[in-house]
Order: sequence, then structure tokens, then C-alpha cells
Amino acid sequence: METDELLINMGPVHPSTHGVLRFKLRMDGEIIKECTPVLGYLHRGTEKLGEMKTYLQFIPYTDRLDYVSAFPNNYVFVKAVEELAGIEVPLRAEYIRVITMELNRIVNHLVSIGSLLMDLGAATMIMWGFRERENALQLFEKLCGARMTFNYIKPGGVREDIPEGFIPQLNEFLKDMEKRIEDYEQLINSNEIFLMRMKNIGVISAQEAVNYGMTGPTLRGSGVDYDLRRYEPYSIYPDLDFKVCSRPEGDSYARYIVRIDEMKESLHILRQVVDTMPEGKIVSNPKYGIAPMTGTPSAVSTYFPRIFTPPAGEVYSRIEAPKGELGFYVVSDGTTKPYRVKIRSPSFCNLTAIPKMVVGLKIPDLIAAFGTIDVVLGDVDR
Amino acid sequence: MDPVTIDTTKIKTVKKKPVTALEKLEDTGLISTVLAAREREGLILFSTVDQIFNWARLSSLWPVTSGLACCAIEMMAVAMAHHDIARFGMEIFRASPRQADLMFVAGTVTKRMAPRVKQLYEMMPEPKWVIAVGSCASTGGPYHESYAVLKGVDLIIPVDVYIPGCPPRPEAWLYGVIQLREKIKNEGYGAKWGLNK
Amino acid sequence: MNPAEELKQKLPAAVVSTGMQLNKPMAVIKKEELLNAAKKVKEMGFDHLSVITGTDYNDHFEVVYNFFSYEKKQNLVLKVITDHDNPEVDSLTSLWKGADWLERETYDLVGIKFTGHPNLIRILLPDGWVGHPLRKDYDMNTEQFVTMGEGGEDVVSTDGGNLLRRK
Repeated sequence: METDELLINMGPVHPSTHGVLRFKLRMDGEIIKECTPVLGYLHRGTEKLGEMKTYLQFIPYTDRLDYVSAFPNNYVFVKAVEELAGIEVPLRAEYIRVITMELNRIVNHLVSIGSLLMDLGAATMIMWGFRERENALQLFEKLCGARMTFNYIKPGGVREDIPEGFIPQLNEFLKDMEKRIEDYEQLINSNEIFLMRMKNIGVISAQEAVNYGMTGPTLRGSGVDYDLRRYEPYSIYPDLDFKVCSRPEGDSYARYIVRIDEMKESLHILRQVVDTMPEGKIVSNPKYGIAPMTGTPSAVSTYFPRIFTPPAGEVYSRIEAPKGELGFYVVSDGTTKPYRVKIRSPSFCNLTAIPKMVVGLKIPDLIAAFGTIDVVLGDVDR
Repeated sequence: MDPVTIDTTKIKTVKKKPVTALEKLEDTGLISTVLAAREREGLILFSTVDQIFNWARLSSLWPVTSGLACCAIEMMAVAMAHHDIARFGMEIFRASPRQADLMFVAGTVTKRMAPRVKQLYEMMPEPKWVIAVGSCASTGGPYHESYAVLKGVDLIIPVDVYIPGCPPRPEAWLYGVIQLREKIKNEGYGAKWGLNK
Repeated sequence: MNPAEELKQKLPAAVVSTGMQLNKPMAVIKKEELLNAAKKVKEMGFDHLSVITGTDYNDHFEVVYNFFSYEKKQNLVLKVITDHDNPEVDSLTSLWKGADWLERETYDLVGIKFTGHPNLIRILLPDGWVGHPLRKDYDMNTEQFVTMGEGGEDVVSTDGGNLLRRK
């Protein structure tokens, strides 16, 4: 029988592409022969805007890159600016930053796992995931008044101190979350359909994953035991006890398990941070060291100048964001605005491997493999 | 039977507990002229049928899943258990624009995406409504100066309700939906002739 | 030992100078020798290509490569300087597959050509876009046309809200 190839267009408006990504698929019957992602439907020109705004004005734009986990975005840009200008940060501010970032890691993985399972046809997990996410968002709201786009971390510290009642509520969340993660595992991990759709799907070996520049849970799912929090430590992570979760298989199921394990580790980190939280200042002044203030809301506008000029130079600063290695390359020419901002986004680099992963699979497997890569289109297109 | 003319000034509403389906319909307060017709021995006027249509339309708006950017995550939050958009009969997000009658433009409309958004809107069957969610979809928002972003989705498609915020809270989102329901309630000839009040 | 110095010892012809990018060792490479230097860098164990950046300095372009070694846990930065009129450097896609999209992005936004790249087309902006936005002389008010179809038919302009549809 004579057969012909079939071209299928998937997206940019498709419920399983997590936004406005488009795949061009060349099919042989049901088998994918070639997959070409088409990006750029959400390209907003953030890097150019970085050159047009002052350093403080640019922080809100970093929120909107990876909008599921905005605190790490905030942090890494601020970290780059701090390294460039040599600003020291009070210890308490670093503790608050770690609280926000680890909470955001939990939120990110909840959304990621929830939407992965919804794409596979199981709607329960997204309902559960968003239920817990709502609790975490209430904590964020208490901290800085916003649910998703925070603009909270500033050069030299954070914008506001922890409000009253935050720590008890956080402890409650941690206690609750522990039970919930057990629930998720009971619901998902031994589900026959889930296992059939995830095991040996979208396999990528460790060597290939490194060659493609994959990072984060997608790399650790391939057995590369690498986490910037451990091996290129920043903030207060050297003082914390946590383990780097990895799985050797390299398939979709391994990446999913890594995310579940990371949520547990984040809870573990949060418990330590809450227990050892020091008192003190939350913001510093670049000229005068740690500012003599006691947590008033307008801390930064009082003690951190709105317009400041870091010395000329360039820096590439990176951290372990929930999705992988997130880096900001900032060039300063000694004026009030960055000369160049380049964002190395984990989603963009992880997505590079998708054409390699899905050749020979069927379209539903593409959905499963793509869901475990966990991209956010704001982060891919920037 | 004589032809009926309505003197709306003489209509009185009697509050009593709704029992039958028709009474329950009246109790929603959406279709007041049906009540007028009932007082005249159950005769329903065809000039007000658009109110029944309106009631049916606004009670089961089906949105198309057209999440573009950050606001799409809040769209998911609105659809989930905590904020529960199912209370408005809107929980069924359709993947195909052919089956939808409401479009949330949830996020930044870039120049590359704009023709696709317009095409999506054109593919939806009449009647259809559009809610521009967030400052990006309304005016370009923080990306107003960017080279790649359309400065408001109303440049390419008509918008019924704008919801401000970056992104709007789910409560703001629900308020926008309620505003749209109000708007739909007052559409059609019945509203023009003053029969809806 | 500082990996930039090590590279200079191994390939004295390729390295123009060594220095630091704040806290990371950096080597400035001759444009023609980039592929050789990159091969050497990969042999030295730098298996992770973290980022490729292009920057417009009005009279020249800089292309910056950030490498990382998972084994040694070291950073290395390579920098290539090209002229402004015809910015062209060698592609590293044969060594790192992850370089594919990063180079396409640099081509798309900054306009640096990578010779030897298998598929050097725009990635983030649509095909008919005029200019490279991250150049300093980019005019923000240029009218742009977006194509809907694959073959460039059905052209749509989105500037000023005019949505023209031409067959």
C-alpha cells in the first residue's frame, strides 16, 4: 500500500502547549518523524526594554518572564546587579529571599505537575495543585501584596519585612503540604495508566541532555546530579542541609518524580530557614553598608536610591530556578541604565531537546514529554 | 382572543415562593415581561423573546482557551475550585473556537500573535463577546514601549469588557464576568424598547 | 589553574588576551580561531554551554560564550570581537547542540551571522521582520509585516492597528 507523509500543525492556540507554542509535526501515520517547534508568539522584547529602563524599573519586567515562579527571576537580576555594584546584603534579607524562592519552587512544581496530568486526561491533580497553590499565594500576598508578579526583591535586600502572623501561617502551610504530597503520590505514582504513558517516553541520555544544554529537573531526571544551589552556592544555601534529587532513567516519569522529590526538599529547606531565621535589618545602602532602619514599608525608597549607577563592567549571574539554570548577563556602562541585558532562560534551552526526544513517538506522547519539560512561554520567548 | 397591548405602569410584582419552572424563571429577575404576560392569563409576547435568549446566553457562556501570557495562569486559578467560575456556568473552557462564545484575551498580544487572535475571533460563531484581561491586552501595559507588542487588543477586535490589573486578581476577573452578564442582559430589541426594566 | 591561562598555553595563537569577567576567567579569542578554541575547550571538560550573547558596541560586536564544566565545577568565558559592518563568527552547533537555538536567537535579535549553522533563520521574530532590534541603531517605529502562511502569502501589518489582509 502506498502511504504519504502528513503534516500536522499544533498550536499556537492549543490547550496542551501551555501557552502559545506551536509545533509543526511531520507524521508517518501515527508516528512523529520530525517535530519543529515554532517560537516567538509571546516575544515581548524584554531585553530591549532592559536597555530603556533604569535598574530598579527593570525588576517588574523580570517578574513577567517566568510568571509561574517570579521570585527567582527577581532574585537573579538583583543578584547580578549586586555583584556588579558590590552591594552587601543583610543576613535576614537573604533568609527572606530563600523563603520566597523555595515557596515559589513548590508553587511552580504544583502547577507543572497539575497541568501535566490535565494534559494526560486526569483533572483531579490540577484541582488539588491549585488548592495548595492558593494557600501559598496567600502567603505571598501577605508578604508583598501581589499574587503572581511581586517586585519584592530589591538590590541590597527586600522591599518589606515579614509581616506579623506570616511565620505561623507558613508553618501551617508546611505541615499541611507534607500530607498533601503524600496524597499526590498515592493518587498518581502507582496509577497504571499514568505509568504506561510516562515510562520510557521522551527518553534522553545524560550525555545528550548536557550537550543540549538542559538544566534543572529535566537534567536531573537524566541522572546528572547537578544543582547550582549545591555546587555553585549562592545566598544562604551553603548553610542549609538538603539533598539534590536525581533519577537515572531519563524518561518522563523520572522527571516527574524529581519534581515531587524537590517539593519535599523545599519543605525541608523552609523548615530549617524558619527555625534559624535571624533578627536584623532587611535592606542595605550601597554607600553606607547596612542601613539603620527597622522595617518600615518604604524601606528601599528611603535607604536605597531610586537611581543608582553601578560601575562599568559585565557580569553573568545564574541561579537554580525551579525550571533550571536561570541566568542574567548584564553589561553596565556606568550610566543609570543597563547597556545590555541578556536573559538565559531555562525553558528556552530545555525546549531545544524536544525535537530529539519525540521522534518515533505518537502525538499523545509528545504531550507527555513536553509536559515534563515544564516550559512557560513567557520564559521561552521573553 | 384580542390582541394584547401592555401598559407597563400597571404591572405589579407579587413576591411569593417560586414553585413551577416558570415561576423560578421569573424569580431570577431577568425576564420581567414574562411576568407581565402571565398577569394577562399566561400569554407570552414574542417581542420579548430576546430576553429569554439573553438569559440563556449569559447563563452558559463558554470561553475559548486562549491564554496568551501571565493572565492565563490566573485564568486557570479562576477556573479551579477556590474561585470556581462554574458558579456562572462557565467552567467548560472549549479548545475549539467553533464551540465558544466568549474570548478572554488573557495576556500580551504581540505583533506576531495578533493576526492569529483576530483569526480566532473570526472563527467563533455569533453571538460572541470579548473580555480584555489585564493591562497588556487593554493598552499594552508595561510593554507599551516594546517593539513587538500590540498596544491594546481593541485595535484588532471589538472588546466588551476591560479588566485592569497586572494580572487581575481572580475577584476582579469575576467582577468583569458579572459586568459582561449585565451587558448581555441588556442586549436586543426588548432593552431598546424599555421592556427589560 | 585558571582555565583561561590553560587555554592560552595550549593555543597561544588563538588567544588574544586573558582576563576576568567579574569573577569568571575570560579569554578573548581571535575570530578565525574560535572553532579550534571551542574544540579545545570541550576537550578540557567544559561540557555545558550556558549562554551565547551578542552585544552591539556601536563600532564593533562582542559575542560572549559562557561555559561550565560539570566535572571540574569551573567557569570559562570566551569572547570574540567582530567588526560592525559584517559581523560573522563560526557556529558551534557541531560541538554543542544546545548552541543551535542560542545562535539563532543571537542572529535574530542582534544580527550576527554564524557560518556553518545548519538552519540560520529567525526564531523569535516572524520571518518578514525588518532589522535586528537589539542593535543600538534599531528604529522602534519601523512598520513591520507579519506573515500568516508558510510561504509568505497572506501578509498582515499590525502597526497602528491596521490589520490588512492581502492575498
